[in-house]
Amino acid sequence: MISSIVFINHKGEILVYRVYKDDITRSETTQFCAKIVATKENKECPIINIDGTSFIHITIKDIVVLATTKVNVNVAMTLQFLYQLVKVCRAYFGGEFDENCIKKHFVLIYELLDEVMDYGVPQIADADLLKKYIQEGGLKPELMNDVEKLKQLTSQATGATSWRPQNIVYRKNEVYLDVIESVNVLMSVKGTILKADVAGSIQMKCLLSGMPECKFGMNDKLLMQREPRKPGQTTTDKGITIDDLKFHQCVKLPKFDKERAITFIPPDGQFELMTYRITENINLPFKIMPVYNELGKNKLEIRVKIKSIFEKNLFGTNLAIKIPVPKNTANVSTNSAIGKAKHEPEQQGVIWRIKKYPGDFEALLRCEIDLGSTTNQQPWIKPPISIEFQVPMFTASGLRVRFLRVYEKSGYKPTKWIRYITKAGEYLHRL
Amino acid sequence: MAYFGNNPQRGELQELYADLNDLNFEKKKEAVKKVIAYMTVGKDVSDLFQSVIKCLEFNDIEMKKLIYLYIVNYSRQKPDDAIMVIQNFRKDVRKSENPLVRALAIRTFGCLRVPKLNEYLIEPLKDCILDDDPYVRKTAVLCVPKVYEVSPDICPPLLELLQKLLEKESNALVLANLIQSMREIEVVSGKQIINLNQKIIQKLLLAVDECIEWGQIFILDYLATYNPQDSKQAEVIIERTLPRLSHINPTVTFCAVKVILKYLDFLDNGDLVKNLCKKVAPSLISLLSWNQPEVQYTILRNISLILQKFPILFENEVKVFFCSFNEPYYIKYEKLDIMVRICDSKNFGQVLNELLIYLNEADPHFVRKTIKSIGKIAITYDKAIDKAVSILVEFAKNVQQPTEPVQELLIQMQLIYKKNKSMYKHEDSLKIIYSIIDYANEPESKSACAWIVGEFGEFIPKSAEKMKEYIDNFQMEDRLVQLQLLTSAVQLYLKYPSQCSILIQQLITSAKDSFNPDVRDRTYIYWRLLSTDPEIVKTLVCFNSGAVQNFSKDLRLWETQDLVVALENMGSISNLFHKLPHQLYKNIKIKINNQQDVKIYKGEEKQEKQENQVQAQQSENQQNNKQEQQQQQQQQQDIDLLSFDDPPVNNISNNSNKPNLFELI
Repeated sequence: MISSIVFINHKGEILVYRVYKDDITRSETTQFCAKIVATKENKECPIINIDGTSFIHITIKDIVVLATTKVNVNVAMTLQFLYQLVKVCRAYFGGEFDENCIKKHFVLIYELLDEVMDYGVPQIADADLLKKYIQEGGLKPELMNDVEKLKQLTSQATGATSWRPQNIVYRKNEVYLDVIESVNVLMSVKGTILKADVAGSIQMKCLLSGMPECKFGMNDKLLMQREPRKPGQTTTDKGITIDDLKFHQCVKLPKFDKERAITFIPPDGQFELMTYRITENINLPFKIMPVYNELGKNKLEIRVKIKSIFEKNLFGTNLAIKIPVPKNTANVSTNSAIGKAKHEPEQQGVIWRIKKYPGDFEALLRCEIDLGSTTNQQPWIKPPISIEFQVPMFTASGLRVRFLRVYEKSGYKPTKWIRYITKAGEYLHRL
Repeated sequence: MAYFGNNPQRGELQELYADLNDLNFEKKKEAVKKVIAYMTVGKDVSDLFQSVIKCLEFNDIEMKKLIYLYIVNYSRQKPDDAIMVIQNFRKDVRKSENPLVRALAIRTFGCLRVPKLNEYLIEPLKDCILDDDPYVRKTAVLCVPKVYEVSPDICPPLLELLQKLLEKESNALVLANLIQSMREIEVVSGKQIINLNQKIIQKLLLAVDECIEWGQIFILDYLATYNPQDSKQAEVIIERTLPRLSHINPTVTFCAVKVILKYLDFLDNGDLVKNLCKKVAPSLISLLSWNQPEVQYTILRNISLILQKFPILFENEVKVFFCSFNEPYYIKYEKLDIMVRICDSKNFGQVLNELLIYLNEADPHFVRKTIKSIGKIAITYDKAIDKAVSILVEFAKNVQQPTEPVQELLIQMQLIYKKNKSMYKHEDSLKIIYSIIDYANEPESKSACAWIVGEFGEFIPKSAEKMKEYIDNFQMEDRLVQLQLLTSAVQLYLKYPSQCSILIQQLITSAKDSFNPDVRDRTYIYWRLLSTDPEIVKTLVCFNSGAVQNFSKDLRLWETQDLVVALENMGSISNLFHKLPHQLYKNIKIKINNQQDVKIYKGEEKQEKQENQVQAQQSENQQNNKQEQQQQQQQQQDIDLLSFDDPPVNNISNNSNKPNLFELI
């Protein structure tokens, strides 16, 4: 499997170096550091082969996290493992991951590396679980001598519900649900939709006692077709078509496959219950209509119309529309009834920001641009207009949570909270 | 921070030595940390071995871990000193009530890799494999391949134990590690170690539901290498694997896709196959938009394989491969590559419209590849040629500099004209291309230009003058250009004998003494033929370009018979480089595909099928002819199977060579 794991800074210096197999020499790695990392060539491809050694790596900020191997490993798994490793480190360092932290906590990192991988084979790499038996400065001696507790720990770690320890108690049982949708749209120059999809995520925060079993239901078309109609009840809601769903490891997948029911014993605290992808019947919350007019050689006029397509009682927040302008832009005057537009040279664009945008509303921005003279004969390559926004209490896919049932031996009734929000993913309009 | 100082000077080592032997525990611990820090930056601190291992006396687990790390690092250099630690390990393994300590000891013990120490290891290891605690067992099973690597001769009893464990183990995580560990041994030994039976398969399938994500990957990866006995068994395995398609870890999903696709071949039930394809496709498409670009890349690199064996999965899904503006280029290149492969006689319009946008990208190399892709589509699909030429001509209109894309443009236009000569009229393409002909500065593009001037001499104003310009610089040109110039000039001479006679004289004078035998030979052949019978030359040089080679072979990445083996290895490094495992790794045996025919899963349209059949037949005939040639070529040049950019150089020179070869016979 994997021969070694190495953390390298942007100058190509080794920060952490852990070997799992003997088949690799340090000089092979330093060669990689000097040739690839220092020359930034690593940005060109995530896997590089040099003389029979494969260097698989990801870059997080300035840190290159590298796995080396000489055998035919599963690359996707290796990359995911590296990401997981960074996630574990962040969980231990309070969200940080940079050179300083790595140097400060290197003893801990070695300890973690010893645990998350053995002989190059990925092992338990769940931060919450690891924290139970690896802590900076060593574990409390009480735990180390309490054989019963240790047995419980190892059986949890290797068991089927490794994500949830026993005996959790909350005075007040609460569940928070967040449905977050990112809308990805690519519009052609003419304004037709080339591709559109919603990447959704359901985040959950569980403050529940004991071992609760949860059942979760959405207005999923396939699920609703299976449910028996109650007599006398006529619903217009036929549900929505979900292209694909992916679940947290706690969800019982065979049950979903057979009955399309989502059942699970949740981990404690915050986690991502599921992600989903939808491509049918997407309600795009915003429409952009740009017009570029070249008024002579040194003048350019851009008009951007934006329209919100959601109910009046809802609001879009924190809109930022990035309108690209040529490099040789000298002066920009803008005119709009709503929000503020400003030329930001470092972004090579005019950014039009609107704090709060009402539903079913149209606004126009007019920019007059003076172009400086330039020696560059190349025509300007127009990047697409992009837009950022958030629309609370709105889902572009029309997804709704229909129920969340919690069953626990003690029979408590938890308080449930739910929020919806739609955000812009890659919301692009080509020019 | 404080630990990462400068190099350890002699004095510093002594200081560390003193600290390690200090009576104060805290001081010792700090010193051990420093030693590890030095080790990290690559400094040799092996001299401190004795002092470091003395610190093991303390029952502090953090310190223990650090010291173990140190020992593992230096055990090979100091095998005699390492022996002293053995007692410590044995004590930990046998006496400690703490499963974490037992596991740690056995894990580290295995990493020593000193042959003579391994015999001390066998008994404790056996104990650990049979330990009550699953955590210890999962660590112990992984210890076996470590020992096997160094001392395989003492391992048979251990291997027996593993096989026994495989039959009775109930913990999913241990089982997953066990499978992985036995596979590691299989790789090292080259022998089959795992003996599967119905019961074990059942257990593995159960374990997939229960173990951690990596364990699921190990098991699925392993199942993908297994050949089910019959359709029924394949069905059961697929059924149990299906739920994994909804797992949040993309690698688990991807492995599940692999297992399902592999087992499809074994199913009798056609409807079931279709249903399964419908289930697999959306999962696979979700993976393509996974938010870690590196993972996305590995999956994209496997798509062409899937596409070749299962075209049905991506029917009407070309949009998925459209590039986003902000994606890394390594992703864009892959998507572009796939878009050309997925392009067919129905969706070419959509693809070309998308490629048109990429011509505006900033990276010249990417634009070049886009142009190449457009050319490829034009040549492969007759119906697409008009639109493709329109796009390329439009691009040519804005050319102002001899950039990289322009070179490709000229090369592709030559290929298009070769395929369909009448295209020169379309959108005035010849006129516009001719206007940028001076921007050619690579051998290939120049040779393309020379070809155009020769072939279309009668439609180009002052073509003879242009040719003279080329011939004036003949000596400076690359061999490739020289060869093409010879043919093109002769062609032009046949069209305008009076105007070009001096030109030909000049050319022959400068070419006949060339150092390059190819150039010299070709010069003499033309020279003699022209002086004996110009009519023969005419039939040879002005060959009809209608019957140009079949290009569809180019779009196939894998040899059909390799598809099954490649599918088993989906996701691995070899597949990432579009090779079979044994081509990349010498120690892997060639796996022979036992299946006679490789099944290809196509969509349902009948028309398409007929077309394909005809095409397939044609290409088969042509393939037979071409195969010999190709094999030779491959041997000679060792063409990289990987690259989509197979050198067009060969094609061109071959084509223009053909008439001459005939002549020699």
